[in-house]
This record gives sequence, C-alpha cells and structure tokens, in this order.
Amino acid sequence: MNDLLTLSTLGGGALYIALALAVYAFLSGLIGAARRDARLQTSARLAAVAAFLAVTVGIVVMEVALLTDDFSVEYVAQQSRIDSPTWVKVVTLWAALEGSILLWGWLLAGYTALLAITAPNTVLRPWALVVMQGVLIFFLGTTIFAANPFTHLPNPPLDGPGPNALLQNHWMMAVHPVLMYLGFVGLTVPFAYAMAALITRLPGQAWMTQTRRWTLTGWGFLTAAIIAGGWWSYEVLGWGGYWAWDPVENVSFLPWLTATAFIHSVQVQERRRMLKGWNLLLVTLTFALTILGTFLTRSGIVSSVHAFGDGPVGPIFLAFFILVLLFSFGLIALRWDQVRDRAELDDPVSREGSILLANILFLALAFAVLLGTIFPLIVEAITGDKVTVGAPFFDQVSVPVFLIIFLLMGIGPLLPWRKAQEQTLLRNLAWMAGTGLLFALVAFLFGVNRVYPLLTIAVAGWNIASLALLIHGAIAPRLKLTNRSAVQVFRQYAFESRRRFGSMIVHFGIIVIALGVTGASGYRIDAQMRFDYNVPVHFQGYDLIARDGYREEVPGRVTIGAIVDVERNGTYVTTLRPRINSFGQSQMDAPTPDVLYRPMHDLYLSLAGDVLPGQEFVVLRVVQSPLVSWIWIGGLIAVIGTVWALLPRPGRQRQRVTAAKGVARAHD
Amino acid sequence: MKRLIVVILVATFLGGLFLFGLLRGQPDRNIESNRLGREMPGFELPVHAPLLAEFGPTFEFNPEALDKPIIVNFWATWCAPCRDEAPVLEYAWQEYGDEVIVLGIQTQDRDNQRAGVAFMNEFGLTFPNVIDNSSRVSIDWGLFGVPETYFIRRDGTLAYKHVGIVTNELMDERIAELLQS
Amino acid sequence: MIHAASGTSRRLGQLRLALVLLPVLLITLAGSLSVAQEAVELEARVFELAGQLRCPVCTSESVAESSSPTSLEMREMIQEQIALGRSDAEVLAYFQDRYGDWILLEPPKRGLHLLVWILPAVVGAAALVTLFIYIRRWTKAGSQPVEVDPEDRDRVRRALGESQ
Repeated sequence: MNDLLTLSTLGGGALYIALALAVYAFLSGLIGAARRDARLQTSARLAAVAAFLAVTVGIVVMEVALLTDDFSVEYVAQQSRIDSPTWVKVVTLWAALEGSILLWGWLLAGYTALLAITAPNTVLRPWALVVMQGVLIFFLGTTIFAANPFTHLPNPPLDGPGPNALLQNHWMMAVHPVLMYLGFVGLTVPFAYAMAALITRLPGQAWMTQTRRWTLTGWGFLTAAIIAGGWWSYEVLGWGGYWAWDPVENVSFLPWLTATAFIHSVQVQERRRMLKGWNLLLVTLTFALTILGTFLTRSGIVSSVHAFGDGPVGPIFLAFFILVLLFSFGLIALRWDQVRDRAELDDPVSREGSILLANILFLALAFAVLLGTIFPLIVEAITGDKVTVGAPFFDQVSVPVFLIIFLLMGIGPLLPWRKAQEQTLLRNLAWMAGTGLLFALVAFLFGVNRVYPLLTIAVAGWNIASLALLIHGAIAPRLKLTNRSAVQVFRQYAFESRRRFGSMIVHFGIIVIALGVTGASGYRIDAQMRFDYNVPVHFQGYDLIARDGYREEVPGRVTIGAIVDVERNGTYVTTLRPRINSFGQSQMDAPTPDVLYRPMHDLYLSLAGDVLPGQEFVVLRVVQSPLVSWIWIGGLIAVIGTVWALLPRPGRQRQRVTAAKGVARAHD
Repeated sequence: MKRLIVVILVATFLGGLFLFGLLRGQPDRNIESNRLGREMPGFELPVHAPLLAEFGPTFEFNPEALDKPIIVNFWATWCAPCRDEAPVLEYAWQEYGDEVIVLGIQTQDRDNQRAGVAFMNEFGLTFPNVIDNSSRVSIDWGLFGVPETYFIRRDGTLAYKHVGIVTNELMDERIAELLQS
Repeated sequence: MIHAASGTSRRLGQLRLALVLLPVLLITLAGSLSVAQEAVELEARVFELAGQLRCPVCTSESVAESSSPTSLEMREMIQEQIALGRSDAEVLAYFQDRYGDWILLEPPKRGLHLLVWILPAVVGAAALVTLFIYIRRWTKAGSQPVEVDPEDRDRVRRALGESQ
C-alpha cells in the first residue's frame, strides 16, 4: 500500500491527469472551434484551467520531494543534496533537464489558463487556445514519456550529489532560467494567435492587437533574462566577461533579435495596414527559434560552457522543431494569397521606412548568428573537419550592424508616419549629428582613440539628441497651451503616452548598454599576477595587498580563498575575497570572483591558482572593466521602460467619465 | 505550392543537418593532427625517477637524429582511459622495444611528479616516461586531451595520431606500418 | 497675452536646459574610458591574441577566458613570442600550425570557411535589394490613384443609388 502512495506516483499521476486534460482541451477546443460550438469551447477553456492546476500539483509535489529530501524520486536523488541550503533545494526544480521541461510546461499551462480566463471572446480565441494546448501537450508528453522527473527509485540512495556546482554557486540561478522561460512562453501567445488567424483565414489586425501586451511582456522577460544571464556569467565564470558568443548564449539571442524586429514591425501593420505576411513570418520564426534553441542546448550537439544536463530529449525536440516548421510556415505558405496585402508607401524616408530597414538588419544579423552557431556542424557534415566559429567572427559581423541599427533607432522615432517634412528632418539631423560629433570629440580628447568605441560614443550622442528632440517635440507644444510648469507637463505626457514614452526609456536603456559594452570590451585591462602576502601590487591606480589565504568548511561546501585589501591613493577602499567553492562530493569547482563595483569601472579579482597552507603567495586574475556595470543598469532601464509601456494609463477611466459628463452637459 | 516546397526544402535541410548532429553525438576532440606527415617539434624533458639509471636525467627528442621510430603517448594520473591503456603501452615496449622506442609523457597534470611515479609503479612501466610539467610540449605537439598517442617515423615525421585508448591490435598494426616505412 | 508668452519661453528654456543636461551626464561616462590608458601594452596584446585562440582542453572557451593550466601556458607562450618580436599573425600561425584551423576562433577566410563570411553578406545584400525593390513598388502604388474596375464602380454606384 505504501508503495502506491509515494511522491513519485502522486506527482507522476498529476502529470498524467494534466496531459489527459490538455488532450481533452485540445480535442474539444478543436471540435468546438471547427463547429463553432460554444459549449465545447467553454469546456475546453475550463479544461485548460484544470490542466494548469494539475501541473501545479506536480510542481508542488516535486518541491515537497526536494525540500523533504525524498530520494525515492529519481530527480531528487540525481540533483539534490541533504545539506544544500533551502533556496538551492527550491530552485533545484530547474537545475536539470527534467525539471526544466516540467517548469516550462507549468508556465505554459499557466499562460494558457490565463488566456482562457482573460482573453476577450473572439473568433481567434478558441483556435489560439488549441495551438497553445498543442504546444503544452508536447511539453507534458516529453516530461512524462522522455524526461520524467518522477521516476520512482525502489532503493533510494541516502544522499544525492546536489545540483551542478556552477548553478548552485549563485542566486541568479533562482532568477535567470525562470525569466528565460517566461520570455519563451510569453512569445508563444502571439504565435498561437497568429496561427489562429491563419486557420480562420482572418490574417488581419486582430491577432496582433489582441496579443500586443503578451508580446511585449515576452520580449521584456527575454531581455531581462539575457541581461541577467550576462551578469550571472560575469559573477561566476571568473574571467570578467559576460558574453562570449557561446552557442547557448547565441540561441537565446536569436529569438530576441526576431522578437525585437516583430515588436517594431507590428506598429507598421497597426498604422499602415501593411506587412501582414511579414509579421506572421516574424512571430512564427521567433517561436520556432525558441524551440530550435532548446533543441541545440539540450541535445549537446554544439559545445558550450553552459550546457547543463542534456538528456534523451534531443530527437524529440528536433522532431517537434521540424513539425513546427512544417505546420506553421506551411500554413503561411498555403494562405499566402490572403496574407498578401496591397502595401503602399508614400515615402521611404518615414517611420515605416526606417522600421523596414531595421527589420532587415535584425533578420540579417539573426541569420549570421545562426549560421555562425551551426557552421561547425555544417562543415563537419560536409567534409568531416572540425572547425570553430567564435567571438571574433560574431564581433566583426554584429558590431557594424548594430551601429547602423542604433543610427536608425535615433532617426526612426523622429520620423513621422507616411512622409517626413524635409525642413524638420534636416534640422533634427543637424542636432543629432552635432551632438554625436561633440560626444566623439570629447571622448577623443579624453583619450578614446579606437574606431568602434568612438563610433559607438558618437551614435550614443546621436541617440541622446534624438531622445531630447522627441521629448522637446512632445512637451514644447503643450507648454504653449497651458500655464503649468515643464515638469508637470512632462509628467502628464509620460503617463498619458505610455507606449511612446516607454519606448523612449527602452531606447535609452539600450544606449546605456551599448556604452557599457564599449567600455567593457574595448578598454578592459586583464592581468594575471602573483601576489606575495602583504606586498602591495600596483594595478591601474589601485594598490592591491593580498593579506592571507583561507579555507572555510561549512556543511556541504568547501571554500578556499584569498583576502585582498584594496587601496587607492593610500586610502583603504575595500577588502575583496576571491575564492573557489566546491560542493558536496561534486568534483567540479565553482570559481567565485569578488568584484568592487564602481560606476566608472569594476575591479574584478578571481583566484587563478591554489591556496595552500604554508604558501606565502597567491595567483590572481585581475580585471578592470570600465563601465561594465552600465550594461546591467541599462538592462534594468530597458525593463522599466517595458513595464512602463505595459501599465494601463491611469487617466483613461477618468477621462471616459469626464467625457460622459461633458456629453451629458451638452445635452442639458 | 512553390512556397510550400521552399518550406519543405528548408525543413529537410535543417532536419538532415541536425539529425546528422544527433547521430554524431557530442562534439569530441578526435581531430586529425595538422602536422601529419611533417616533422614534430623537438623537446627535452626530465625522466621520471624509477628510470633515471636506465635512461639518464632527461630524454631528448630530436626529429633530425632519430635512430628508431618512436611512439609518444601523453597521459595524466587523473585520466581513467590512461590507466586502461598503460598495460598496452608496456606490451608494445616489451614486444617491439628493439625496433621502436615507446615514450610516455605525463602532462596536463600540474606538478604531480609523485603521483606520476606512483602511476608508473602501479602498472610496472619500464619504458621511458618523462614529465611535461608546464604542458608546453603537449601544446607544441597540438595535444587536445589525454590520452593521445603519436606514431613518429624514423625521419621524425608524424605517421599517425591516435585519440583515446589504444589496443594491442592497434599497436601491432601501426608499429608494422612504422617499421615498413 | 505678452505676459503669458514670456512665461512660456521661460518654461521652454527650463525644458531645454534639462534636456541638455542629459547628454552632459552621459559624456562623463564616456570620458571615463580614458582612465584605462595606464595599462601595460604587452599584457593587453597577450589577452587580445589569446582571445582569438580556442582553448584545446576546454568545452567552449577562448584561451583568454579559460583558467586551465594549458591556457595559462599558452598565454605564457604568446607573451614570450611577442617579446621575441613576432607579429600577431605569426603568433596565431604558430598555434594554427600545431592545432589546425580548429584553434582559430575567427574562421580563416579561405576554402569552405569562406561560406560563413560570404553567406551573411550575400543574404544581407539580397534582403536589402529586395527591400529596395519592394519600396519602389510600394511608393509607386502609393503615388498612383487606385485603379478600379468599371464593373466594381458600377456596383458601388448601384448600391449607393439603392440606399438613397
């Protein structure tokens, strides 16, 4: 009897029920949508909610198993350890493949349920839900039949090895993967609506406008995930970098590129009723790339520093990817005649013109990054040779493209839809070019003399001027109409034109990131040095004095490290403790650098040799990265901008009421 | 229809490519040496303690002045396949020691001389074994990981590089080739 | 009226002043890059070259990123070779000679490698040309009056006539 009531059977059972509900919701939704049967559709929506609850039970059971160290559950036995801190146990849920897929399925089920409850009742909704259920069935099916975390171990071990050392070494593990999945899942919603639009032969505006918030939410999460991942790498990889064009990084960047193109080009369709087909292609491509990315990272067919826990799901994800390609792009191909729109353009020098050009650049860059990522595989398939495509290639390709995109980012928002007025345009361009030149000149006088950093700084100036002109253009006319102060008018504008102002914040954040990247990659100083204890070593205006080595043992973790005092101009600044952690029985060490965060530059110390008793020195890697913190700050700004654009306008309700009053009064 | 064919073609290409990747499995470092058929760089390394009397304090590899073909095996104490193949190397030395030299190089094994000697004693290795403390020789020879075994002709050129564990049969076959050339 | 106008220009002035402050803030950041000039040139060059070589014993890291003993030794070797007066290309060729093209993180521009360089350029150029062609077509469509079937026009007329 006891064998029947284990956490394994409970969690596994919940997943089976969830899968059954998802299949039911899929089928009843399909029939309900095809026959326009409202009762079946309602039933499908309820089943979607029930499926979410069932997966939630599965998640809760897994968390209970992790927290109570129930090693009869295989996943717990393989990934958890008794003396891990509680937070590590909680996040061990997504420390390996099986749990990650389960988490993904749960988030997807949650979004589907939310959609089933909140989405407006349109022709598209039932079909969109069917598509969502289809994707959910795939994830639940994979969890149950290929990567089941609830497999029961008849002879449970007494303890497990714990999660991968690099993962449990930093609290970012609790944040970054979830953000990434929220982004991926969020971008599934517009895809589902796009498919619904194609199935119902209504490829007009509706699918886009109904998913505008979902798209932006997904994009925001993806952006946050990428930046957070960069910071995580910075904090744990030990070489003072944050982005190495590693395949796993690249495949998270690909959907970001296409999604970014998408959130811009939907505006063209909203305003000008063109690019219908293009937008469908973009959103489909974005979704397909999220699946491709998961396939590449989880199948282990490309080598990556971040390849954690690959399993038997490679072929399954490949099959799903091909299915998604054939179904979605096939559907677009079949419906192309209805999708094709009668596009017209008054003038290429217009908002839509600039967005079109930027779209092409985003897509070309995505193509180059994808090609570079899978190129070693292509060469090996053709000639059998093993080759490498690394950071220098991606840098050379992406930096110029990004510079042009940044130019467009400055000019695009200033251009009106349809046609720009030549005089205004020239005046704006003069301001922007002037500011850009001024920026570059000042930087040059300060000693920045390389081409790309100078160009980036110039483009930053160009964009700052653009933002200033945008705000000026929005505020100045209003100022003339009222007696209120500039601050009040600005506030009103920022709250009322949320989308517009939010986009300005995001663009500003992107510029901040660009400056941070320029400083951190163009002007970083990297040195490997031997520090004799208590002998100051001069480095970039700092005096670093290694005081001692230390070894610390707490249950489940052994740390060796060095204590380094940092002084500047003879005054004590801080004490840094670069160290290496090892966890449990795991053989893998996790470097744990220590960083002095400063707005102008970071001082980054990483242990590069052993710390042994009786050894009177320590070898450290010392990195000074100028402006690197601004990458994270810029990312935060971009996320704030996204949230700003997503929040509802506070005045809207009131306005309606006043309008109604006005009407009432007029009737009096 | 034309568009549908394009979609199918792209899907087939990507599917085929990734299927190839899946069948190949994880990318490995079984990479052909770029020095195949060319002379290998010379070196001089300290000989491990148990064999000092027989081979002197250092072993010098000079591609210009070889009197026999030489088989160079790179190993490390932490490497499990190296343990499995140690008897194979000893077999080759016993069997063909008159016609070829077998050389073991302990590498990628920072300052682990003592463990290296223990390793030799464990397997009773009697062929010359040296230590490459800085890993410099391994870099000079284009080594990716351990174990890798290089088969050098009498003229100092590389005939063949084997990645991973060697077997008695493989040794017989490759040494026969070396002796023929 | 005059009073209000002067108030407006004052407030406009405030707005503009605030907008000018923003660039000034950012340029200070840019200026800080110059602080980094104190560095040892040699060290920087070593890491720059190491960043173009793939660490042979790591999963997927450059020699500059990796802290494996092999990478440390390779950085040492790069430093020695620079001290001997070798050029960047010579240093890279030294390792390429030993490890083959695999060691180069930047694929050499020859043979099959050329594809990875050429394809993005070709695809990007093709996309731009396509965009250009479409824009020409769309601009024409935008400037020309919409052509209407006489039959359609009649139908609309009839419909209008009926409703009147």
